[in-house]
Amino acid sequence: MHRSLAIFLAKRFLQAVLLVVFVSSAALLLVRLAPGDHLSSFDTDPAVVAAERHRLGLDRPFAVQYVEWLGRAVRLDFGESLKYRRPVTFLVTERAGNTILLGTSALVLATLIGLPLGVITGSRRAGAFATIARALSVLVLSVPPLVTSFALLLLALTTGWLPVGGIGHTSESGNWLTIVVARARYLVLPTLALALPIAASLERLQSRAMQDALEEPCIRAVLGRGLSAERVIWRHALRMSLAPVVGVFGAVVGSVLSGSFAVEIIMSWPGLGALMYEALVDRDLFLAAGCAAAGSVFLATGVLAGDVALAVIDPRVGDTA
Amino acid sequence: MRSEPAAYNRYLPDGGSAAIEFVTLLTQTRLARINRANDQLEPGLAESWTQSSDGLTYSIKLRRNVQFSDGAPFTSDDVVFSFRAAYDSRLKSSLASALQVGGQPLAVSASDPETVVIRFPSRFAPGLKILDNLPILPKHKLEPALNAGTFAQEWTPSKPLTDVAGLGPFVLAEHIAGQRLVFTRNPYYFRRDANGTQLPYLDKLTLLIIPDQSAEALRLQAGEIDLMTNGEIRPQDYSAFRSLSDSGTLRMIPAGTGLDPDFLWFNLTAPRKATSTAPWLFRREFRQAISYAVDRQAIVNGVYLGAAVPIHGPVSPGNATWYSASAPVYPYDAAKARQLLAGLGLADRDGDGVLDDERRNPVRFSLLTQAGHIRGRTALVVQEQLRQIGIRVDVVTLDPRGIVERWAKGDYDSIYFGVQASSTDPALNLDFWLSSGDSHFWNPGQASPETDWEKQIDQLMHQQAAASDLAQRQRAFAEVQRIMGEELPAIYFVAPKVTLATTNRVVNATPAQQLPQLLWSAESLAVSGPAR
Amino acid sequence: MTFLNARFAGAVLLGGITATAVTSGSVATHDPASQFSDYVLAPPMRIHVIDPSGDWHAPFVYPLRLEDRLERRYSEDRTRQLRVQWFHKGRLASVDDAEWFPLGTDALGRDVFARLVRGARLSLGVAATAAAVALVIGALVGGVAGAFGGLIDDLLMRVSDLVIALPGIYVAVTLRAALPLVLTPTEIFWTIAAVFAVIGWPIAAKGVRAIVAAERQKEYAEAARAAGGGRTRLLLRHLLPATQGFLLVQATLLLPAFILAEATLSFIGLGFPDSTPSWGVMLQEAGAGRVLVEAPWLLAPGVAISASILSINLLLRTPKLPA
Repeated sequence: MHRSLAIFLAKRFLQAVLLVVFVSSAALLLVRLAPGDHLSSFDTDPAVVAAERHRLGLDRPFAVQYVEWLGRAVRLDFGESLKYRRPVTFLVTERAGNTILLGTSALVLATLIGLPLGVITGSRRAGAFATIARALSVLVLSVPPLVTSFALLLLALTTGWLPVGGIGHTSESGNWLTIVVARARYLVLPTLALALPIAASLERLQSRAMQDALEEPCIRAVLGRGLSAERVIWRHALRMSLAPVVGVFGAVVGSVLSGSFAVEIIMSWPGLGALMYEALVDRDLFLAAGCAAAGSVFLATGVLAGDVALAVIDPRVGDTA
Repeated sequence: MRSEPAAYNRYLPDGGSAAIEFVTLLTQTRLARINRANDQLEPGLAESWTQSSDGLTYSIKLRRNVQFSDGAPFTSDDVVFSFRAAYDSRLKSSLASALQVGGQPLAVSASDPETVVIRFPSRFAPGLKILDNLPILPKHKLEPALNAGTFAQEWTPSKPLTDVAGLGPFVLAEHIAGQRLVFTRNPYYFRRDANGTQLPYLDKLTLLIIPDQSAEALRLQAGEIDLMTNGEIRPQDYSAFRSLSDSGTLRMIPAGTGLDPDFLWFNLTAPRKATSTAPWLFRREFRQAISYAVDRQAIVNGVYLGAAVPIHGPVSPGNATWYSASAPVYPYDAAKARQLLAGLGLADRDGDGVLDDERRNPVRFSLLTQAGHIRGRTALVVQEQLRQIGIRVDVVTLDPRGIVERWAKGDYDSIYFGVQASSTDPALNLDFWLSSGDSHFWNPGQASPETDWEKQIDQLMHQQAAASDLAQRQRAFAEVQRIMGEELPAIYFVAPKVTLATTNRVVNATPAQQLPQLLWSAESLAVSGPAR
Repeated sequence: MTFLNARFAGAVLLGGITATAVTSGSVATHDPASQFSDYVLAPPMRIHVIDPSGDWHAPFVYPLRLEDRLERRYSEDRTRQLRVQWFHKGRLASVDDAEWFPLGTDALGRDVFARLVRGARLSLGVAATAAAVALVIGALVGGVAGAFGGLIDDLLMRVSDLVIALPGIYVAVTLRAALPLVLTPTEIFWTIAAVFAVIGWPIAAKGVRAIVAAERQKEYAEAARAAGGGRTRLLLRHLLPATQGFLLVQATLLLPAFILAEATLSFIGLGFPDSTPSWGVMLQEAGAGRVLVEAPWLLAPGVAISASILSINLLLRTPKLPA
C-alpha cells in the first residue's frame, strides 16, 4: 500500500510542477501578446526607448526570450521587474508571504468554525440552534469575500476598534513577538472577511457529509449496539465524514486564493493578488509571470496537501491511483 | 507619495516624474532656488552673483567649504559637470529643454573653484530663476558613467544607495519597493538657520508610497502620516478633516486658489489628423461648443462641493501677477453649443439621441483620465453634460503612467489631466507654451508652428521671455491668453480652492501653492512631540 | 427550514430580481446617469405612513433640503408631504415636485436605487450570457468527448482538468488584462462574457462527458446505432438531451461565480467603465476612504450581489464552495 501511495503522490507532484510551468508560461505569453508595452515615458526620445528595450532584451523574438526565461526560472531567477527595477523573486516572495499568512489564517479560522458547527448541525436534525445555524450558514456563504470585506470595513471605521488598511509598520526595535502582535491587529479584519463565507460552506459540506455518514449501515449498527450517541458521532462518524470534505480541500484552497484577491485590494493588504494586478496592468512582463507562478504553486501545494490528507484518512485512495 | 520612483536622478530622460522630483528635492540642492512662498530667488549653493551690463552674463560666487553627503568637497567643477550632463546629447536629459533660452543652451564656465560664469544666449527676463531647474550632481560620482554612456543605470534601486551623494538636506537611507523611502539627515548640509543651528531639524523623514488618494487621506486622518506630499485635501474629505482639526489633532492651512488647474486637451497632432475619420474633432468650433456645453458650476458644486472657482483659461485667478481678466469667457449655454455644432454639420440623423456627422458617423470620442482621482469625477460630469447635447464621450481611467504612455504614442482622442509648473512666471514654462515644446500637450515638438495662432503665441512668448519691463511682459502674455481662449486647444473648467493639512506635531511649515506644497522647504520642517 | 420552503423562497427572490432587471427602465426612479449636483451623497429618503402628528396617510416622502454643501448635510423638510404616485409617468413609483432618492445618492449625485436597478441588468446579464455560452461550449466538448471516446476524450478531459485546476479570479484578471484596456461598454460586455465562458466550460464538459459516456452504453443508444444513425446524430438527438438536468444544476453553480467575478473585475477597474452602473463599478465608490462611514447606503450593490447569490443557492440542494 505504501508503495502505490508513494507512486500516486509522486504523479500528483509531477502534475503540480507541470501546472506551475504551464501557468507562468501562459502568463508570460499573455502579457507579451497584450497591446502596449511597459517602456515609455513623458519626454522620452523614441531612440532612447528603443535602446532601453534592447538593453532589457525585449526586442528579441519571443521564442528566444522564452527559452532564456525558462532557463533562468529553473534556477528560480525570474528576472527583474520593469517597474520596480528589483528582482522578481524578491518582490514575489515578500508579497507571497503576506498572502500565505492571510490565506492560512483564514483557512484555519474557517475550519475551526465550520467543521465543528457542521458536525453539530449534521447530527441533530431538529433543534433551534441547529436550524438557526443552518439558516445563517446559507446566508453567509452567499456573501462573497468582496462584500464581507466592505461590511467589516464599515464596522471597523465606525467603531474604530481595529486598524484599517495596510499591514502596519515594522518598527526597528522590538523582538519578533512584538512584531507578531502588531501584525496580528492588522490581520484580524482581512482574515475574518475571507474566513466567514468559507466557514459557512465548510459547515454545509460537513453537515451533509455527517448526515450521510450517520446513515451508513456500519454506523447504524454501532448505534444499535447501544453505544452512547456522543461517542459514536465524535469517534466514528466524524472520521467517515471527513473524507468527502478533505477531498475538496484543493477547491477550498482555490477559493481562499481567489477570495484573497478581493480582500487584499479592499483592505490594502500587500499581498500577491494586488501585486499581480499591478503587474498585469503595467505590462510588467516578468513580474506578472512570477506572480502567476507563485499563485499556481500555492494552489498546487494546497491540492497536494489535500491529497496527502485524504490518503491518510481514507486508505482506499492509494489503490485507485 | 503617490508613485514609485524608478531612479533617483532628475537628469534621466524619464526623470520628470513626480516621484523622482520629490526624491531629488530632498537629496539634491540647487545653486539658487525660487522661494515658493514669495516667488523670489533665494541663494543656495550660490552665495551671491553679479550681472553684466548687457544683462547676458552672470558671475556667480559659490559658497565655500561645502561638502557632499559623502564628504567630498563641492566646487565649480560640479556645476560645470551638471550642466554638461543636462545638455549631453547621448543622454537626452529631460532637463535640457528647461535649461535652454530661445532654443540655445547656456554657456557655463568656471574660472576658479569658487566662481562660475553663466552666459545667456539672449535676453531672458526671469534670469537666474532658471537655476531652480538644476540640481547639482557630484562630478566624482557620476562623471565616469557619463563618459562611458552608462549614466542612466546609475542611481537606480538595484544599485547600492551609498552611490547617491548629494548636497541636499537629506540622504536616502532605504527604499523598500512599493512601500516607502526613508531619508536621514545629511550631516554635511550647508544651510543653517538664523540662530546658526545646522539644518535640517528633522533627523528622519519617511515617504510612504500610497497610490490611492483615499488611502492617503485616511492615513493622515489616523495620524499615521504627518502630511501628504501633494498636501491638498479633497473636498469630500473636508468635513472629516474639519472635525479632526477642531479637536486639535490636525491642522488645516488654507493656501488660496490653485495655480495649476486640470484641463482637457485633444490630440491635434498632424498624423492623427491625417488618419482621422472625424474631421470635426479638430475644429475650434467643436471645442468651443464643449466649453459652452459644460456647466462649470455643476462641477464646482458636485465634485468640489463648492470649494472651487470656475475658470475659462490656462491661468488661474490665483496667479495674481499673470492672470488676465480680459480673456474670453464661456458661460454655460447649451443652446449656443448646439448652434456651433450644427454649424459644423452635426445633427441627430438617426434619432438615437447622439449627433451624427454628414457620413452618419456618431459624434463620439474617448477621454482618458486618472483612476482613483478627483479628475475622474470631473470627467464623469463632463461626460454627462456632453451627453445632454448629443455628444457621446467614453471615459477611460488609467494610472498616470498609462496616460503618459498613450500620450507619448499619440494613441488617444482626448485627455483630462493636470501638470504642475515650477513657477508662476510663464517664461519658466516655455515647454508648454511654445509649439516646439515637449509639454505642448496637444501637439508637442513641432518643427515649426503648424497653425497661425500657434505661430503668434510663439512670437508673443519670446517677447514675454526677453522683455525686461514687467508691464510689457504682462501685455504680451494677456494677448497669449486671449488667443488660447479663442482657439481652446486646452479647455479649462475649474480651479480648486486649496487647503493643506498636517498633523499638529508638524511645525515651521511654509506652505506654497505648487507641489510639493510643504516639502519644498523640508529642511526647515520640524516636529514637536512623538509620532503616533 | 425544510428544503421545499427554501427552494420556494429562492425562486421568489430570484424571480423578483430578474423581473426588476428586465423592467429596470420603469422601476428606476430616475435616469441612472443623471447627476444632481445639489444632492451629493444624500441619504436615503424613506417612505413614511405616519405624519408628525400621528395620523395615517397613503405612503409619502419628505423632500430633502441641502444644509451645508461642503459638509454634505441634509435635512428633511417636514412641512411638506409628497405622495408617492404609482404607475405614473411610466415609472413604477415616483414623486411630483421634488427628487426622490429611495436609496440616497452617490458621490456625483446620482440616484443609487436607479443605478442599482440598471446595474442588475448589466451584472446579471453578463453572468447569464457567460453561463449560457459556457454551458453550450461545455456541452459540445463534453458530448464529443463522451460520444467519440478514445484519444479525443483523453485530450479534451486533460485540457478540462488543467483549466479547472487554475484559480478562477487570477485567470479572469490575467485574460482580461491581456486584452486592450480601452473598450466601449458593449465591447466590454462581450469580452467579459467571453473570458468567463473560457473559464467556466470545463466543469460542464466533464459532467456532460460522464453522462454521455454512460448513456452511450445504454440499450436505446445501441439500438439507435444499430438502426444506422451516425454518431453525430446520436449525440445531438439522444445523448445531449439527457444532460439537461445536469446542465441546469451547472447553471446554478456558474451564475453566482460569474456575478461575483464581474463585480470583482469591475471593482478593480478591469470590467465595466466607471460611467456604467454595474454593481462592481458601484462598489468602487464604496471602497474610497471613509465614504462608507458617511454614506453606508453605498453598500447597496453588495447587498444586491449577496441577495442574487443567495436566491440561486437556495434553489440548490447542496450549495457549493464560493469559487
